[in-house]
Amino acid sequence: MFYSHFCIPFIVGTVILFVTILYRYVMWIADLPKSDKRLIVKGLFTTATLRSIWETIRESLLHVSIFKRNALLGYMHCSLAFGWFLLIVVGWIETTAYMGAEFVPLQGHVFFRYFAIGIDNHIVTFDHIMDALLLFVLSGVALAWFKRLKSKHLGMRKTTKHTIGDRIALSFLWFIFPTRLVAESITAAVYGGGGFVTANIGAALNNILPASLLTGAFEPIWWIYSCALGGFFIAMPHSRYMHIFTEVPLIFLRNYRLRVRQSQSSYDNFQVQACSRCGICIDACQLQSQLGHNNVQSVYFLRDRRANSLNMNVASDCLMCGRCADRCPVGIDLNSLRLNSRAAMRNMPNERRYNYFNALDRSTGEGKVGYFAGCMTMLTPHTLTAMQTIFTAAGEDVWWADRDGGVCCGRPLRLTGETDSANKMVQYNTALFRKHGITTLVTSCPICLKTFREDYNLEGIEILHHSQYILRLINSGKISLQHSDNKTFTYHDPCELGRGNGIYDEPRSVITAIGTLIEPKHHHRDSLCCGSSLANTVISDSEQITISSSLTLELEATGAKTLVTACPLCKKALGRTTQQKIVDLSEIVATNLNTKP
Amino acid sequence: MATNFGFSISKPRVIDVDTNNLKKSNEILAALPELQSCIGCGSCTASCTAGNLTSYNFRKVHTLVRRGEYAGAYEEMNKCMLCGKCRLLCPRGINTRRVVMLIKKCLGDF
Repeated sequence: MFYSHFCIPFIVGTVILFVTILYRYVMWIADLPKSDKRLIVKGLFTTATLRSIWETIRESLLHVSIFKRNALLGYMHCSLAFGWFLLIVVGWIETTAYMGAEFVPLQGHVFFRYFAIGIDNHIVTFDHIMDALLLFVLSGVALAWFKRLKSKHLGMRKTTKHTIGDRIALSFLWFIFPTRLVAESITAAVYGGGGFVTANIGAALNNILPASLLTGAFEPIWWIYSCALGGFFIAMPHSRYMHIFTEVPLIFLRNYRLRVRQSQSSYDNFQVQACSRCGICIDACQLQSQLGHNNVQSVYFLRDRRANSLNMNVASDCLMCGRCADRCPVGIDLNSLRLNSRAAMRNMPNERRYNYFNALDRSTGEGKVGYFAGCMTMLTPHTLTAMQTIFTAAGEDVWWADRDGGVCCGRPLRLTGETDSANKMVQYNTALFRKHGITTLVTSCPICLKTFREDYNLEGIEILHHSQYILRLINSGKISLQHSDNKTFTYHDPCELGRGNGIYDEPRSVITAIGTLIEPKHHHRDSLCCGSSLANTVISDSEQITISSSLTLELEATGAKTLVTACPLCKKALGRTTQQKIVDLSEIVATNLNTKP
Repeated sequence: MATNFGFSISKPRVIDVDTNNLKKSNEILAALPELQSCIGCGSCTASCTAGNLTSYNFRKVHTLVRRGEYAGAYEEMNKCMLCGKCRLLCPRGINTRRVVMLIKKCLGDF
């Protein structure tokens, strides 16, 4: 009894959808590297699975992280996802309540109001609940329409430009729930029944329209509803709505500790296709807000990569500051994906490159603490002398790794995609550190710090940024500082130190040991990029200055006497655009040391 | 009695821009026109991490490439570690890292 010809579009759409998605997932999982498959098997029966289920409910259904950014935007996503989910689940409970254990085909659940016409003993509570849920979803659709007109009210300065596939799917999606409302209302008008929404609309329709018209519209409107569903299901895997299902396996795989690799792997499919193109990343991007580059943000990068139409310019035009990745509600590993895209375009294995590294070690001396200043720090000699002063004051036994000419850490090459070349630098420097037997490695450059922590295997050597190292010296009493509340500082979080390495508190503790810290408008995880990032090889000098100027304005607006940062590149960039004093963290420490009695 | 200072007088040579094939050079300059504003100050070379360790001379290589003298340029450019110090010092604000990548791209094989 649960069949009528109008169900055909829906049934066809559903079959195509599930066949397409299942085929893709099976292929992607089959293509995973062996070690990734082992991770899945290992993780399957651990708490990771439970955590994933919980995360799926929080993020895929309720969209908690979007709620945290903007309540109205969160409500929009939640009402569409969770509302639709509840419609399906409660609809299933409803049919079970009527039919008991009897098998009801899928279309029977979805179009229950149509098939329920002939059923006696209406359970009115379900009608009301289903109507309330439909209203919940419709409020989300209305908000989505409203967002097209006035995105600002939903906390978004700019929204995503969609592809044609997206627009087709979007049109179907926007049609589904209004047609469902109309179909159920007309059914209520002709045959009675319905909850507090559909029954009332049905009664109103009866008053306005002639009965013959309503009876005539009854079958066609169910046809339209079925076509909207079927059309959406067919368009879905080829549009951004592929994210609806893909986010779920992504959550599980991520909790099983699968990670984006240096070179592209099948796991990237789950990452790339889980992007919902919500566009939250666009507002975070300074290339957009300051320079008006409108087609390079993560959402467009992923769109191009999904369509295999990614070009070098889009891949390279990114500061990799990580502001977008930090906001991404799906938690996509945006920087790593961009890096392996660059590597796919630019990596050149060449055994003969960098042969000059052989027997290059010019460093002298011994010491348990190795100090790797970093290339950029060589251009900020004040940092070098400050570190020397601090080492001497603390009586530390330091070996300078690169004072007389060192090899780059490799991260700049890695950022441009030349992974193999970068790995040669990793080999050279690792051998150098091992040879000198250091147990602690201190660096003044957050760029070096990140690659030392992520790409080097330096087991047994503790890797510290100089802010962490200095704080330790203070806490252990090896150095003491003169404190005065009158000294005011503001601190700029370097991207690679903050979002890149999670180091926010140590520099602040050092600053507050000397004077008063005034936070700028954007700080901690929300801090801005200075614009000189090595990751971007596209923007010009003047564009770098534009980005730096906007940051300088914020820092100067704090009214602090001294601008402090903890990255030589940030210091250089800010130094070009500020009239105020800009110093590295180590400099304020060196000038405020208590000389020993 | 000649003393060996480790230096010698350069052999006289002529770069004939009229006969050199400037196709690659023009490609590079079209992609990054600002390279033409180079004043040859040598700040890039003075600050160079690779130049500190080897005879690699960025100013020399990109100047020769612009004149259509490509021999050995790709191999030389592969000594660069892309650390970016030169870009910070360039008084004309030239995107020097892009220059390196362009020369490698146009004269190399990726």
